[in-house]
Amino acid sequence: MEKTEFISAIMPFKDKLYRLAKRILVSKDEAEDAVQEVFFKLWKGKKNIKNYKNIEAFAITMTKNYCLDRLKSKQAANLKIVHSNYQTTENVEKNIEANDGVAMVFKIMETLPQQQRIVLQLRDVEQFEFSEIAKMLDSNETAVRVALSRARKTVRDVMIKNYNYGIG
Amino acid sequence: MELDKIKQLLTAYFEGNTSLAEDNILIEYFNSDNIDNSLLEYGPIFKALKTAKTESTNRSFSIEKSQEKKLGKRWYAAAATIVVLIGVGAFYFSQPQYTQEEKEALMAFNESKRALLLLSENLNKGAEQLTFVHQFNKTKNRIFE
Repeated sequence: MEKTEFISAIMPFKDKLYRLAKRILVSKDEAEDAVQEVFFKLWKGKKNIKNYKNIEAFAITMTKNYCLDRLKSKQAANLKIVHSNYQTTENVEKNIEANDGVAMVFKIMETLPQQQRIVLQLRDVEQFEFSEIAKMLDSNETAVRVALSRARKTVRDVMIKNYNYGIG
Repeated sequence: MELDKIKQLLTAYFEGNTSLAEDNILIEYFNSDNIDNSLLEYGPIFKALKTAKTESTNRSFSIEKSQEKKLGKRWYAAAATIVVLIGVGAFYFSQPQYTQEEKEALMAFNESKRALLLLSENLNKGAEQLTFVHQFNKTKNRIFE
């Protein structure tokens, strides 16, 4: 694969990768670094790319894995344990300072467990089919649907709670 | 769009049972200006989803690590090597250097030092014994005075 051909193949979805990375890592700079790193890796492994039917899905899987690794090593470096799996609504609420509804929804998304965050991003923002998401995450459609439903409900519940609180 | 249909879609949405087309109906509905009052609280969710898709990055990405970076790494390696060499060299030259002749002389010096020390030690032992003679003299003088 030629350089120009490669670039024209991957550049159309650079924003998708960036948004996914940002959803996971939160920081804009770190998300951009992650995308850059994924591009390096893709180009390095370009010989194998022909084997992958869908380069976009492959890149998304790579981005997801890279970002989760980054998070892990960051947490290991800081010796910090983040209990993202059993976050209570209490500390969800604490994290929400934004009054603006949309900003609040983004804040709530940041508090979701990684897997749910990724599924929500891929389905509701990037609008991939369940079958595609299942392949990207090396999972199955049912698991994706369950994670998605949980994510959506959490966002709704925290949102409505705060929304009513803001009005009343 | 009828309110009932939207409500139905909403329920299905939260159960994860809507198609992409249905998701888009919801997104369009909640991003319009005529949201039913009973559903206002759901507005921000679908507005956020639409907003999220517009986010983009301005950074220009490259696909190969630039030559400069590689060169930079090589320079680090070179600098590290020089530092190590200087360290080893400094250690080596800080040690005293002797020729074979000097080493022999040093050994001879140490040997003779040891011999002289032995001699003086024995001399001191002998000198200690002399105190008895002094004592004898003192007593003798007292008696014969």
